[in-house]
Amino acid sequence: MMYEHFDNAVKGISKTLEQDPEGIHARKKYVLGLSKLGKKLYTKDENIAWCGVTAPFDLLSAMGVTSCFVEFVGAMLAATQTAGFFFEEAEDSGFATDSCAYHRAVMGAVLKNAMPEPDFIIGTSSPCTAGLAIVENFAKQYKKDFFILNIPQNYTKDTINYLAAQIEEMTHFVSDHTQRPLSKKKLSLALENFNTCSGIIKDIYELAKTKPSPVDNKILKDFGTVVALLMGTQEGIDICQAFKDELSHRIATSQHLASKEHIRLMWIQNRIQYPFPINEMLDDLGAKVVVDELNNVTWELMDPDNPFESIAKRMISIPFSMNTSERIKTMKNLATDYQIDGAINPCHWGCRQGTGARGLISKGFKDINVPVLNLEIDCVDSRNLAKGQIETRVEAFIEMLS
Amino acid sequence: MNKKIGFTCAYTPVPLIEAAGFSPFRIFPETKAPDQSGHLLHDNLCPHVKKVLDRALADDLPDLEGMVFINSCDAMRRLADAWHDARPNDKIALLDLPSGVNSLSLNFLSKEYERLAKMLFEWNDTDFSEEIIKDKINTWNHLAGVVKEIEGTMSNGYFPGYASGLQHIINTVATDLTNTALLMAQEYAQPKALASKGRVPVYIFGNLLFDPKVYDLFEDYNIHVTASDFCTSSRFITPIDSKADENIFTSMAISYLSQTPCARTMDTTLPGSIAQRIVEQAKMSHAKGVIGFTLKFCDPYLARIPMIRQALQKESIPFLMLEGDCTTGSMGQQQTRIEAFTEMLGV
Repeated sequence: MMYEHFDNAVKGISKTLEQDPEGIHARKKYVLGLSKLGKKLYTKDENIAWCGVTAPFDLLSAMGVTSCFVEFVGAMLAATQTAGFFFEEAEDSGFATDSCAYHRAVMGAVLKNAMPEPDFIIGTSSPCTAGLAIVENFAKQYKKDFFILNIPQNYTKDTINYLAAQIEEMTHFVSDHTQRPLSKKKLSLALENFNTCSGIIKDIYELAKTKPSPVDNKILKDFGTVVALLMGTQEGIDICQAFKDELSHRIATSQHLASKEHIRLMWIQNRIQYPFPINEMLDDLGAKVVVDELNNVTWELMDPDNPFESIAKRMISIPFSMNTSERIKTMKNLATDYQIDGAINPCHWGCRQGTGARGLISKGFKDINVPVLNLEIDCVDSRNLAKGQIETRVEAFIEMLS
Repeated sequence: MNKKIGFTCAYTPVPLIEAAGFSPFRIFPETKAPDQSGHLLHDNLCPHVKKVLDRALADDLPDLEGMVFINSCDAMRRLADAWHDARPNDKIALLDLPSGVNSLSLNFLSKEYERLAKMLFEWNDTDFSEEIIKDKINTWNHLAGVVKEIEGTMSNGYFPGYASGLQHIINTVATDLTNTALLMAQEYAQPKALASKGRVPVYIFGNLLFDPKVYDLFEDYNIHVTASDFCTSSRFITPIDSKADENIFTSMAISYLSQTPCARTMDTTLPGSIAQRIVEQAKMSHAKGVIGFTLKFCDPYLARIPMIRQALQKESIPFLMLEGDCTTGSMGQQQTRIEAFTEMLGV
């Protein structure tokens, strides 16, 4: 089922792009890249690893491993409105209905044999212990070897060394399974690609800060989290460049001036994954999400001569890895840089990690006079969606900001 | 009277707190303080974390010199975050706890325990002394030995009130001093009454079950608790094998990470080993059934319940799963289910 979905997406988007070779089509190229990855995940003869969100995908890619975080599949199932079937399977098997629906959906898919069997599993302690628990379930279910990267939440010399040593050990674990040693040349190339992507992404975010912003409510949706899957590759560079070109083009042709932008918003954590017309609604209200919390480069350039330490620093620097006060500090900086008027925090049901900090985040934003709308919503499971209530609250919030 | 150091997690090494001249004070989620924590965090967090934070917000705590938090799960991380806000003047130590057990994680945790020890001695303006730490570990291990003895007696026969008495001892070491708890335990080791019959032997496990009254309620519901595995039961009194390594902190790390783990700690070589461990413990304690009791919204446990259920089913061991909110009131609501379960098990 998922293979067909990705295959159809690859064919459909490729055809569209062929018909307009001069067009930029950044989002289409991005979805194409992800669909190709999805297709590879569901293809035999690939070395597949299911991972936690913050796994070093560039390093895995350099080692010839097709890897992805499991929540990506949960989001895809929600987007294609097929998640309901898998929620029921997971819940019938005893997974709690008040747990994170990204994990419930994907666990249901595992139980229904709708997920490709991995060669091995790499769990990460960040962003959440719930995610780690689910990948342990994967490992048990598939009877596959399991490696954990413990990502400390303090950024110190000791913690960086600890994580760097684990990453190095992970490369041995991977080699043992793929029978391929780590190629320093390939790793250096992946890190150089990563650095190039990081540079372009920084430019993209700088462009997005323009007032009015050249972004619309969809273009950079969940970009920061998901693009990490592609950043060690040339394809990743091309996709990032397409986004930069598209935003530059919008500014050059003054398209951004034509867009309605009475209110500039920040979207906290992840977007709603199933079809729900919130973007259109914000468009109608003249409100624009100019920045997603995780659309941010928090790391320094990777040092190919010191790869494991560089990657370790990057992994710890992700705001979800550190404590909430660091996360709030980062968000406050974004709020100032992007000159936002308000923020929307979709308090994803079952998320103790992100949503667990709801009150602290609101308080943090209050310090800089930025109102926050806490939307009590499940971003993946639409079965209990109170659509009208959400719409009313969003309308009232935007009205208040206006 | 020693100044107190607050803590919330069973991976907190109490001997270090005592060695630095403090008394440990485990903050149990038992309070009449108003429910305010949801405003600072979120309502869908486990009641343990929320009630502990409620206690902090309502100042329902003794004087604390500082707090030790362990980065054990998402909710606990959020509690540490909120503590800064709720009690900005408290000294806070936050330790990173690895999820898996290997040489790197043992080495790292060893350094974390050493960091904590130095911090605690500094907080009390006392000279760091490894000898004192070793002395406190000896007393701690002595207590752990007596508690194990009590548990053995508990598995072999039903002595009314014995399980709640043991919990009382464990709570004493969590909120007073190891020496005090040791004296209690030594006096308690030999049951005062003869073994009774007629109760259904059941093994119980989960995250938090600290109120001794709950164990009496189990007996009222016709259960003989043969053994238990909770963050607040004897798992908390982890014996520290001082000879495991030359470095005392490495010995501590080995002991804490290698012994009966909380659901959040995994053996990566045996994914899902928690399920097998529960089966083995239930069998070893001669239980006829197993009751799982976890707090609502506790992801580490709830995500492992399906594999535990499956493992028990495979061995034909009946299983009852309960979710609670840290109050005996929630146990009352479960009475009918528990009684039906014991009836089904028969005697």
